[in-house]
Amino acid sequence: MALQDLRPMMERCSYCAGCKFIPFEKIKSLRFAENCPSIGYYNFMTYSARGRFQLSQSLLDGRAQLDDTTTNAIHSCTSCGYCDIGCKITRYNLEPLEHNIEQKAYAVENGKILEGQKPLIDNLKKEHSMIPGTKKANRTDWAKDLNLKDLFKEKAEVAFFAGCKYSYDPKLQKVAQSAVKLLQSAGVDLGYLGAADNCCAGRAHQMGFFNEFKDRANANIKSFETAGVKTIVTPCSDCYHSFKRQYAKLGSTVKVLHIVEYVDQLIQEGKIKFTKSVPMTVTYHDPCHLGRLGEDYIPWEGKEKKILNQVHTWEPKRPRYNGIYGIYDAPRNILKAIPGVNLVEMERIREYSWCCGAGAGCNESNPEFSAWTAGERITEANTTGADALVTACPWCKDNFVNAVDEDGNKIEVLDIIELVQQAI
Amino acid sequence: MESMKQNLVDIVGAANVIDSPEVLASYSKDESFATPMKPWFVVKVENAEQVQKLVRWANETKTTLVPVSSGAPHFKGDTVPSVPQSVIVDLSGMKKIISINRQQRMCIIEPGVTYGQLQEALAKEGMTLSTCLRPRANKSVLTSVLEVEPRLNCLHQFNYTEPVRCTEVTFGDGNQIFTGEAGNGPKDLQKQWELGKWQVHSNGPAATDMLRMVLQAQGSMGIVTWASMKCELLPTIKKMYLAPANKSTDLEDFVYKAIWARIGDKLYVMNKAYLASLMGETAEEIAELKKVMPNWVAAFGLSADILLPELKVSAQEHDIMEYAKQTGVQLLPRVPGASGEAVLEKSINPSGDTYWKQTAKGSFQDIFFITTLDRTSKFIEAMYELAIEAGYPTEDIGVYIQPQHMGTSVHLEFNLPYDPNNAKEAKKVKDLYAVASREMSKLGGYYARPYDIWANIQLNKDAQSYIMLQKMKDIFDPNNIMNTGKLTIK
Amino acid sequence: MAFSREIYKALEDIVGKDNISENISVCETYRSIPAQTSAHYGPSEHWTPLPQAVVMPGSTEEVQNIIKVCNKYGIEFKASTTFYSTMGYIGSDFALQLDMRRMKSIKIDAKNMCAIVEPFAIGATVQAEAMKLGLNLNIPGVGCSASTLANFSSWVAFGPNSISMGQGSENILGLEWVLPNGDVIRTGSLGSGDGWFCGEGPGPSQRGLLRGIFGTAGSSGVCTKMAVRLHPWPGPADFPTYGMAPAYKADWGPNFKCYTLCYPDWKSWARSVQYFHESDVAYTGHRQFNMFGRDLKGAMIEIISNPDGQLADLEELLEDEYIKEQTEKMKLDYQIVIVGFSEKDMEYKEKAVDYILEQTGGWKSEMMLDKDKHDYALLYMTRLGHKNLNYVFCGSYEGIFGLSSNVWKTIEVVEDAAALKRKWEQDYNHIAATGGDSSMGSLSGIGGGGATGWEFFANFDAYDKESIRGVYKLSDETQKFHNKYAFGPDFCRWNSDLRRMDGYNFTQEEHNEFYKDSAQPWVFAYQYKIREAINPNNLCGSYFRTLDPKCLEN
Repeated sequence: MALQDLRPMMERCSYCAGCKFIPFEKIKSLRFAENCPSIGYYNFMTYSARGRFQLSQSLLDGRAQLDDTTTNAIHSCTSCGYCDIGCKITRYNLEPLEHNIEQKAYAVENGKILEGQKPLIDNLKKEHSMIPGTKKANRTDWAKDLNLKDLFKEKAEVAFFAGCKYSYDPKLQKVAQSAVKLLQSAGVDLGYLGAADNCCAGRAHQMGFFNEFKDRANANIKSFETAGVKTIVTPCSDCYHSFKRQYAKLGSTVKVLHIVEYVDQLIQEGKIKFTKSVPMTVTYHDPCHLGRLGEDYIPWEGKEKKILNQVHTWEPKRPRYNGIYGIYDAPRNILKAIPGVNLVEMERIREYSWCCGAGAGCNESNPEFSAWTAGERITEANTTGADALVTACPWCKDNFVNAVDEDGNKIEVLDIIELVQQAI
Repeated sequence: MESMKQNLVDIVGAANVIDSPEVLASYSKDESFATPMKPWFVVKVENAEQVQKLVRWANETKTTLVPVSSGAPHFKGDTVPSVPQSVIVDLSGMKKIISINRQQRMCIIEPGVTYGQLQEALAKEGMTLSTCLRPRANKSVLTSVLEVEPRLNCLHQFNYTEPVRCTEVTFGDGNQIFTGEAGNGPKDLQKQWELGKWQVHSNGPAATDMLRMVLQAQGSMGIVTWASMKCELLPTIKKMYLAPANKSTDLEDFVYKAIWARIGDKLYVMNKAYLASLMGETAEEIAELKKVMPNWVAAFGLSADILLPELKVSAQEHDIMEYAKQTGVQLLPRVPGASGEAVLEKSINPSGDTYWKQTAKGSFQDIFFITTLDRTSKFIEAMYELAIEAGYPTEDIGVYIQPQHMGTSVHLEFNLPYDPNNAKEAKKVKDLYAVASREMSKLGGYYARPYDIWANIQLNKDAQSYIMLQKMKDIFDPNNIMNTGKLTIK
Repeated sequence: MAFSREIYKALEDIVGKDNISENISVCETYRSIPAQTSAHYGPSEHWTPLPQAVVMPGSTEEVQNIIKVCNKYGIEFKASTTFYSTMGYIGSDFALQLDMRRMKSIKIDAKNMCAIVEPFAIGATVQAEAMKLGLNLNIPGVGCSASTLANFSSWVAFGPNSISMGQGSENILGLEWVLPNGDVIRTGSLGSGDGWFCGEGPGPSQRGLLRGIFGTAGSSGVCTKMAVRLHPWPGPADFPTYGMAPAYKADWGPNFKCYTLCYPDWKSWARSVQYFHESDVAYTGHRQFNMFGRDLKGAMIEIISNPDGQLADLEELLEDEYIKEQTEKMKLDYQIVIVGFSEKDMEYKEKAVDYILEQTGGWKSEMMLDKDKHDYALLYMTRLGHKNLNYVFCGSYEGIFGLSSNVWKTIEVVEDAAALKRKWEQDYNHIAATGGDSSMGSLSGIGGGGATGWEFFANFDAYDKESIRGVYKLSDETQKFHNKYAFGPDFCRWNSDLRRMDGYNFTQEEHNEFYKDSAQPWVFAYQYKIREAINPNNLCGSYFRTLDPKCLEN
């Protein structure tokens, strides 16, 4: 797929503003009505999915050029995918997220990237990690004392895949370790990829670096096959999405579970029992790639078919990713199961959740925009009166930890595994 | 002067050009404190064509025209010429009800049609027109609606301009158009009806609301020769309840609640002086009523027409009693001195030959403006204080609070009765009127209908509006011939 | 013609460097494209001209200063909020686009039932804030994604609940308005600092210069704040909804009902509408789902109320016997919402609806009584959040056959109009074949009833030039039809005299030709004089219909 191939959808955007607001039926206040971090921060139309459709036409027709402003606009998108959900509230034939990422790939192909993106990609290529400065040699340090099976050496029922952030970030390593111990204590037969544990490269895809993504994804799929991986459990939402949606497109058949799904299941089966009360009011942030972008991949090949003269449809019927079958209930089930925890909801949740700001590498390439996006969420979380903001993605957590709300206040940010751990 | 007169005779005929001293004298003043000014002629017009010719003549001769549609007496100074050698354009003879259409719930009337005349005709078709409080017997309906006299049912005042919809207007420059929806079609009512158009929509024509150019204008922009109006169905059941209170503020929650709940078809608040004036047939009776009536009364009316009337009324009665309870008021069929039924009848029917506000003392001066209900008590307190300072008896001050425009604002009216034959008393009221009018404005009272001295008071607070008004005047009445001097525009 | 550095610097000094751009890519995204034909003038194949810069003011003072700069240098300017319609875009090569998105505050006076809104406060946010306080607002038929201020001040703004709340024009209270010459007008009580509660007067109402049957679409300067009248909302303050995207639904208890009422013939239909006009029974009244077409609406309701529904299901559903039967039964229909302020009130309203049906031979659609459908329709009609389903078939539509008249006039012609459209669907493939009749719109475009506000949707594909051109030809046909039945300019031609098909403004000479022979030309001559008075440099495009009075001099 090339940008030009998306021309029909560019010209069919009806400027309805669905890409900029949470579903209009869900709006409960002026303050939290909008839902595109990019136009939210930069304000100009260009930064919305609708503006991006129009920008692509101008680029392809030669009226606009990939200058610095344009390049920045194209890459100042967290690929959070909300525009895609908002669009599909009333449209059945546009794919704004696909277009946004394709537009980024167009810029990348033309050598137009942001300064801050380079170290990420270089590190991916060289060290197989998307955290600049991290070394492949240290990737599995976090797992040293966990008694995890190396799947290249012995079989295990489930492969644990920590992802870059949990593997390298000293604060988050503890969460990954807890997750492993939690599963092990519940009797899960757990292994990992050992030396073949590499970045999923999902973020490279989000940034439009398709070649780099494909290289890494194909290598990883090969490793899964070699190691005989049937089921992967990951605490990282980016990895989850990559494996479940992007790798599946490349032929991967591995079953993918986010740790919240697995823990929820273990709680229901009575294999995880809480023994302590955690008296705390919390609110839950749905990570984009676990929630609205966490739906199963459904293979499809077909073409547009017009019926009734001009009604656009697809032959055969095309899967439609509304975001509704993402992972929303599992984390909430866990929180509700923890004694003492009182869950209060923010206004923007589930398929219309606000992004943390770290998506598509924006936390590295565009830190001010990313921090503002995170700050918006902290403001929303603090509005609920919660003691803590809980999430299920290391990128979200890291971005929130460093953010403040509009009044300069912080909020305690917890990975859901940390909360589970406190109750055991 | 004779040639001028001949010009007028050529337009309207000799019988309709009047310059007898008695008639001129009667038009030279009204019952207000406006400075008297004798007009040059009184011209009685019979149709729009004559009006247009008259306006064109006035432009050529730079003569001021003062339109008058209601019969005397007048009370607001708007029909008293402000400049010498003005010509009164008397439209009261244009009394045709041009059309009544039950299907569209519309009627079209000329300027001389009175409330009594119209309501009688409408009733035959099962309809009625929303009314202001007990209008004068010879009050022009058209003037009443163009001057936005407050309606008793604010809940059906969807548009500020209700119930007037389309009009035929000759602007001060002599050009004549239809306003509203009617301005988009042929300038011929018959032709429009043949096309199925019934002058229903007041907005426009095009991107300008021309009706608003003549609204509240005291005839200073143009002359309206017909207006279409939205009618209501004639109630088959109507009731009125009264809620007594010691203070006006005791009634606020109830009024807000009734407005919010869209219940009832009439709602207004009066103090006992005002209510007594409305109800009393003689000065003595008014005085007696004031002794027994509650300090304040909210009048709440409900009605039903053809759609399950009994069920509607029973549901609304049930609900309004509940709202009354919630807001701490008692809703009664009668209060000492008046029954709800009698108040309703007085309110909706035209006054007798003597205008009811004159009954108490022979004359009166009103001060009215727009504000919000929650601010009314501030004005009322201030008014009482000013009256005390002026030596005017506070117990004589009538107060009328009429929610309008679906309840977003209220018309607040102070009625100051006085004996016109008592020069000292008249002077006292004149002074109080001047002082209180300024004070109310300072407190935030908004003179949307700026009669007499209120024009200066209001426009001096709002220079930009003043400039815009002047621009509007330049567009629609470039030679400043329409009721020159009113609104202090020029 | 690019702005000189002097101009750019002047503008940048006003709004700050982050709120102005002259970058080509940025400016390119402020052009209206063929898909976006809600401006009802085409559709056009052309993009509107490229603005030389885009500015985003943050306050009235900034707007005023920008306009003063525009006057100083003779720059055309146009403000827009959501950029939904072509009207909001500039129309010449030396022009500045104002994007009002930074101004979006909402303040509510709950007691006196009004909200003071800035331009980018959209219907949904105003409604959400109002509902917290037991209030609601007239959301125009365009939907809740559109700006309340822009709709009320600059366009038409009637919608489903105009029958009980009045349309935009009727709901305007105080208004802050920067004229094209840079002066700031504050209308009514606001001008003298007395509050927002009244937008009329003093004396003749300046508000009448702002808009009439419609507004001037940004051609009379920039409204920066407006008090809009609010209306009662006896429902839940937090607007609870349920269900999965996109088929969200609402159940607010027994006092909130949405019915699809159906009739055997148009006369019965009109008589029933008359009953609603004459009573206070309907909270909302709209012919809504017929926008999908007489033949398709049953199937489309099935699709859109199902989270897994798709347009690919359409063909199969059209063969479904139950859907076919139900679609046939709701051929002549409309939706109403009744809202009970109490149990008794609801009992009366329910019985009143039944009585109206009994008197007119009508019935409630069985399909729409199904809880899923009912709850979907109730939410839809209350918030109008799904209004952009207007575009669902092919991405674009043009509104044709604007039947904005009294109901009796409307029903005289609706079948003939439907037949014309159906013939077009059968003879050509330019528009979606939805069954001829796709008329939709308000049961009343005026508060309290009195006039419909309808259009027929002609759905077309903006990616297909033949489809665009076909709709343009269809528009010509519908205009002939409108002339025949004396309806005046058709919906699809409402703006064709305001912007050229190449996207540029008309000249005064061209406007003179349009209006000099109109039925009442002085209407347009007065508008010329108004423009001269408030916009002496003629800087806001040609969306204000003006006729040079000299053309009327003998």
